[in-house]
Amino acid sequence: MRPLTPRRIMAICGLLFAVLFVVVVIALRTGAYPISLRDIVTTLFREALGRRDDIPLEFWQVVFGLRLPRIALGIMVGAALATSGAGFQALLRNPLAEPYVLGVSSGAALGAMLSLMVAPHIVGVIQLGAFVGAAATTAAVYFLGRRGGQLDSATLLLAGIISASFLSAAIMFLGTTMSGRDQRGMAFWLMGDLATPPSFHPGWLFVVLLVTIGSIYTTSSDLNLILTGEQEARHLGVNVNRVKLVVYLAASLLTGLAVSVGGAIGYVGLLVPHAMRMMFGTDYRLLIPTSAIGGAIIIVVADTLARTVVAPTELPVGAMTALAGAPVFIYLMRRRVR
Amino acid sequence: MRGTWRRRISAAAGLVALLLCGAELRGQNAVANSAGKIVTDETGRRVAVPADVKRIVTLAPDLTETIYALGLEERLVGNTEVCDTPPAAKTKPHVGTPISPNLEAIVALHPDFVLATTSINREETVDTLRRLGIAVYTSDPHTVRNMLDSIARIAVLTGAGERGAEMVAQLRGRLEALHARLTDLPLVHVLFVVWEDPLITVGQNTFVADALRWAGAESIIVSKQNWPRVGLEEVMRLQPEYIVLTSAHMKAEGNESTELQKRPGWRELRAVELGHVAVISEGVDRPAPGLIDAIEELARVLHPNAFNENGEQEKLKLENGARMPGATVGVKELCPCAL
Repeated sequence: MRPLTPRRIMAICGLLFAVLFVVVVIALRTGAYPISLRDIVTTLFREALGRRDDIPLEFWQVVFGLRLPRIALGIMVGAALATSGAGFQALLRNPLAEPYVLGVSSGAALGAMLSLMVAPHIVGVIQLGAFVGAAATTAAVYFLGRRGGQLDSATLLLAGIISASFLSAAIMFLGTTMSGRDQRGMAFWLMGDLATPPSFHPGWLFVVLLVTIGSIYTTSSDLNLILTGEQEARHLGVNVNRVKLVVYLAASLLTGLAVSVGGAIGYVGLLVPHAMRMMFGTDYRLLIPTSAIGGAIIIVVADTLARTVVAPTELPVGAMTALAGAPVFIYLMRRRVR
Repeated sequence: MRGTWRRRISAAAGLVALLLCGAELRGQNAVANSAGKIVTDETGRRVAVPADVKRIVTLAPDLTETIYALGLEERLVGNTEVCDTPPAAKTKPHVGTPISPNLEAIVALHPDFVLATTSINREETVDTLRRLGIAVYTSDPHTVRNMLDSIARIAVLTGAGERGAEMVAQLRGRLEALHARLTDLPLVHVLFVVWEDPLITVGQNTFVADALRWAGAESIIVSKQNWPRVGLEEVMRLQPEYIVLTSAHMKAEGNESTELQKRPGWRELRAVELGHVAVISEGVDRPAPGLIDAIEELARVLHPNAFNENGEQEKLKLENGARMPGATVGVKELCPCAL
């Protein structure tokens, strides 16, 4: 195997960024409103040059008002979910670990709903609630999944599934106390909906996500060692507990943020890290950045499909990812059993 | 090497953040640019309505019906897939479903005024359209009187104030007449069926519950939820005097009353045994002018004696003759025992 040099990481990430760019261009071009690539390019250039008065209002509305915010949100949610999936897989040493499967997404959703009911007018309260919900669920699943002091793969997944169904029931129960209008919004959000940008400035989300993904990245060399065995890693001087705490908090925060703005979009955290492992190997120094970019690509593609396949009606993006993700989950599970 | 990489990432992050900033600012400007009269809609949002509304998009069937009733169909450039009243509304361009309309399709129709409602649209849809600088007026009808006020307000905003006032005055007159007729009669306890399986009925805070009261009826189910799901057992316990269905449930041509008599769970209900099943027009589900027709029709089924006195029939016929065009037909089928 070729040694992993910074140059190689840069080259692979550059390649993935190029793919992401192409996907974003296609997503910008696709939609119910007919607009040519040329018009999109001129619109983007005019905006960049500050000549916004030359842009026809509708081009501006479609490109900057609808498609670009949605794509930006998709990139952020996809990167967050895929990275947290890779993080959970290392933390729990289970290739099937993923925020949605483990019930962490449902925990985040419940936390977001509760915080919204308690203090609806504080900016960022949903994100905080979602983070707390995600962190609490991760801890619960972690302790439920242990058997005789050891993490047991099957027990862990069962604990995740049971937590998810319990939390969904709690969400449904809370839903009955809401007005019809909030219920409709909630149902859409739970299935995964990127059409609604967050109430605060998305730039903040971007910065927080970048810092959080960066913090997982700083542990990637240690994660490589931990995956060969915790004892061995300890002997090699890795502070295993600190690394686990960082990954646990960061992965919970990423899930919480992703769920709070995009709803419970499943299987991205499973699909993307595994695809990246197949293509580029299992080294976490490469896996974390490639998963982040890969997750962005997958969500932008899935969302573009979700808003076009049954146009003018839109599908929830979560339906698209589950359609692709569930078979992959079964494939990975069967491969492990054999 | 690692240092330059980090610098590049932070530069890229800064660039994206800047782009997002720009997008946000532009949205606010677009709202400010579209001048006109500023009104507060029924959800408390401030809307800049153009002085001369020319291109209307409606996001709910009741709003479509109202626009037609106001004679503004020429200016209606788009509605939803479920807008079917009057039938001509089906031929207008559709923008998807009320709950998940395609926003780009709405933009493509160049609307200068979009009408939404809290009863079936999502708040997120309204907010996004507003951020694009499109004037969206949201109606929030909880009672029949609310609805009439709402129609009058929409009429004023769309430049059909006179016709709207006339229509609303006439509809109010019919309501008052009905009220006078039913005022001394006891309320009939009914089960209003929004959906049969699972059984969904109406809560206290809906215009349907209010419409039932105007028709001299009262829902047996007390719920704070707008569209609560209830069990047949609860219905059995409360034993409604009448079952009220809308014509949307009529799958076959058959009589809904005999249909229910075959169903386990339903056939045990006293009202079903007696054939006390009223099928009224879908108008009752919609806070639009047709609602008043549906109320009158329901009142006639539930309180036949109030309409059987001498002279009263004639008076009613006259009132019906004065109905505005585009209103839905009332009772499509009545149980024979009720007549």
